[in-house]
Amino acid sequence: MTALFGAKYFGFILSAFGITAAVLLALTIWTVLVHKSRLRQLDELEKAGIKRAPRSDG
Amino acid sequence: MTTDTAKKPSGLTALANPTRFLALVRIVLPYLVAITVLLLAIGLWMGFSVPDDYQQGRTVRIMFVHVPSVWMAMGAYMVMVSGALGVLVWRHPLADAAARSAAPIGAAFTFLGLATGSIWGRPMWGTWWVWDARLTSFLVLLIIYLGLIALWNAVEEPAKSARMAAVVVLVGALNIPIIRFSVEWFTTLHQGPSVMRAGGPSLAPHFLYPLLVMGLAFLSLFLTLHLMAMRNEILRRQIRTAQRKAARGHRSKNAQESST
Repeated sequence: MTALFGAKYFGFILSAFGITAAVLLALTIWTVLVHKSRLRQLDELEKAGIKRAPRSDG
Repeated sequence: MTTDTAKKPSGLTALANPTRFLALVRIVLPYLVAITVLLLAIGLWMGFSVPDDYQQGRTVRIMFVHVPSVWMAMGAYMVMVSGALGVLVWRHPLADAAARSAAPIGAAFTFLGLATGSIWGRPMWGTWWVWDARLTSFLVLLIIYLGLIALWNAVEEPAKSARMAAVVVLVGALNIPIIRFSVEWFTTLHQGPSVMRAGGPSLAPHFLYPLLVMGLAFLSLFLTLHLMAMRNEILRRQIRTAQRKAARGHRSKNAQESST
């Protein structure tokens, strides 16, 4: 694995793995943040007295 | 009908209940996350331990992210096709949520397939891009994904947007066999199939096994993200319902006040 560093086309290999990691990590973080935001919105609605179906998620 | 003869919902019918579905997601998700991390770690270790290819040298390692991304890009579309059929044929309540949630994930994998393919193509083919049948049909897949995301967001009425998107998904599904067989039907710069082909894989085992492990890792990641996205979509619908209920209550209160 260490032979990769400085090898010919190392920049291309690093770019391919780097862009994959960045996009998939961003997608995961975005999904988690949306979930937190939705839960917060639901809690605010409940505090305002708006009832909804019982939640088994949290 | 007595309670003795009444059947409890099972399988997909049982999961039509969003509360039951969310409870299942809550149980399954930690295991899926653990499996994904483990498979990614094993796949990356195997992928970086392979010897250099006699033609492609070290760049062959790009295959371990490019090929699984392409598989998942097309796999996510097939999930959307199932969702579309669920909307139009079985009218399953979660079918549209499943299709809609798969679109951004499928778009991300399609983008990765194009980007990593382009990065791999530059040193191997001498060009970042060529308008051959495989690359062009795959770019069309990305455009279809983006169009569907726009359609779902543009149409306000949920049932109408679900039906419209389902029809577009089924029409767009024609592109999947075109992508798959483009390298056989047309003369392309892109190589032919080397894993899923008649007569078995043509890849050497020391490249094939890391590729399959990375494929499983990406599949597990897709399932994880899809369940998380479906959970978000269900919560979005619950918020929408609650907001409408609040708005209705507010209107009727105003009407009562104005009448007195």
